[in-house]
Amino acid sequence: MTALRTAALAAGLAGLLAARVAGQDPRLERLDPDTRIAVAVLVDSARASGLPAEALIDRALEGVAKQAPAPRIIAAVTTLFANLRDARAALGASATAPELEAGASAIHLGVSPAALTRLRVLRARQPLTIALSVMADLTARGVPADSAAAAVLALAGSLRDDQFLAFRRSVERDIELGTPAAAAASSSVRLGAGALTTDASTPGSPRPPRRP
Amino acid sequence: MFERDDDTLTDVTARVAASLKKAVRLDPALDARVMAHVTALPVHRPVGSLGRVWSWLRRPRTLAVSPLAGLAAAAGIAAIVFVAARFGRTAVTPPAGDRTPVEFLLVAPRAASVMLVGDFNDWTASATPLHTAAAGGLWAVTVPLAPGRYRYAFVVDGKRWQPDPSAPPAPDDEFGSPSSVVTVGGTL
Amino acid sequence: MGIGEGMSKDADLVRRVLAGDAAAYGGLVAHYRDRLARYAVRMLGDRGDAEEAVQDAFVRAYRSLPRCDDPQRFGPWLFGILVNRCRTSYARRARRERVVLHDEPASLVAAVASTAERLEWEAEIVWALERLDPLYREAFLLRHVEDLSYDEMATLTGAGVSALKMRVLRACERLRVLLKETDRV
Repeated sequence: MTALRTAALAAGLAGLLAARVAGQDPRLERLDPDTRIAVAVLVDSARASGLPAEALIDRALEGVAKQAPAPRIIAAVTTLFANLRDARAALGASATAPELEAGASAIHLGVSPAALTRLRVLRARQPLTIALSVMADLTARGVPADSAAAAVLALAGSLRDDQFLAFRRSVERDIELGTPAAAAASSSVRLGAGALTTDASTPGSPRPPRRP
Repeated sequence: MFERDDDTLTDVTARVAASLKKAVRLDPALDARVMAHVTALPVHRPVGSLGRVWSWLRRPRTLAVSPLAGLAAAAGIAAIVFVAARFGRTAVTPPAGDRTPVEFLLVAPRAASVMLVGDFNDWTASATPLHTAAAGGLWAVTVPLAPGRYRYAFVVDGKRWQPDPSAPPAPDDEFGSPSSVVTVGGTL
Repeated sequence: MGIGEGMSKDADLVRRVLAGDAAAYGGLVAHYRDRLARYAVRMLGDRGDAEEAVQDAFVRAYRSLPRCDDPQRFGPWLFGILVNRCRTSYARRARRERVVLHDEPASLVAAVASTAERLEWEAEIVWALERLDPLYREAFLLRHVEDLSYDEMATLTGAGVSALKMRVLRACERLRVLLKETDRV
């Protein structure tokens, strides 16, 4: 085929693909044509492989709302797709969409997939959405990813979801009041052989001033 | 150039400091706005024995106890973490299958409009306006949300993107304006 | 006068609030409002942003009141919350304004031209303060306007005492240079 016909064929296929996927979700019409095609491909792949397509669409719509340039939107959706795929590999095929989304956030922030797998083992019969979210939220607040993961894993066997959220809130308050993030999260309980160490750091009250 | 003791102010810097020490008066209605916001929050409860134990636990120390007592202490700590949650806004963990009403608040005394934009309304700027109470300055809206994790932000006066100061930041700032995250627990 | 004068009165009010008397918080607000306002306006250079920061600091302090370990030290503790709020507000505004300036170089030129026309001393101080690095401005205000000790400043900001002394020194040097440029020295 000539180059011109090849190009025309490629454009036609791309248009057909875009039309097919766009036809499946009218929200993608808000994207410009080039972005729509790229995002549509990713959304289609996600649906085909059981990953939450809604999360990809939401991320694209966020980019449109914030008037981000097309390459950034495409890059963000591509990255999210990869993180969701990694989260599913770590959490297993039975992971729900909210679990995958929370896991993808945690992975994106530097939490190791192995930590996600460990969490699944420790909370085998419970939804992991909150625990994964707390991992991600603490890391987003400045707690080193390893420390956030370690803290959540240490508590994974003993806390309910509402208690996890309370734990996150107390760490956030400490950070807000000036405690360095890593220290704030090290209110972790380590159960070692025969010893219980409580290592709870708090901002404390200001030291009494020494007049210069 | 010569060295100075940092506590000695020269003519210029001394005049600067003296001028800056003059009192500044803000909007007299600020007190009322603060108190309106404060009285809308849960009242503090007197610290009971669990609260005192929580404060005690927060102080750095090292203990050595038997494994059995350690397990009991861990269970106690878990209970205390839950009780501590009552001092602030409660966590959102609804019964299975329900939507949870989640309240979004923003302090913006000079704003003419505040919109909530996020995953739950397809990032549609006009879909979810916040409303301001009579006292002014405090904008609020309640949205029923299914379990999941949602990114969102506020748009002030139709043009200024603002994250929620009281919520965790969303992992990425990739679009040039930061967002926040709310997580709603419960089973699907 | 250092922050935290009238400490026992503060402690009484804090205890009453923690016991469930939310209205007692009004006394703490009235006591500290002007001090917080002065710092916030000087630090942020914008009354609207300052009002938001002060209001936000009071509300956060109320919500976190159980975590104030020493009710007698409520003042410095509250001030620390305000310093953090101002940092957040400044970072947010700086991001916004960078975008604006990037898109509108003409307005930047106009702003520079108009400063040459300022004659009021206080306006020049505001102009010079705006041109200080925010950390230097913060240190100068805390030390020489709010009269905090370096130890108190270290607790509020998380920086070391030597770093803070250096920042105050640099702030003073920069102010001398900036204000000399306007021929007022």
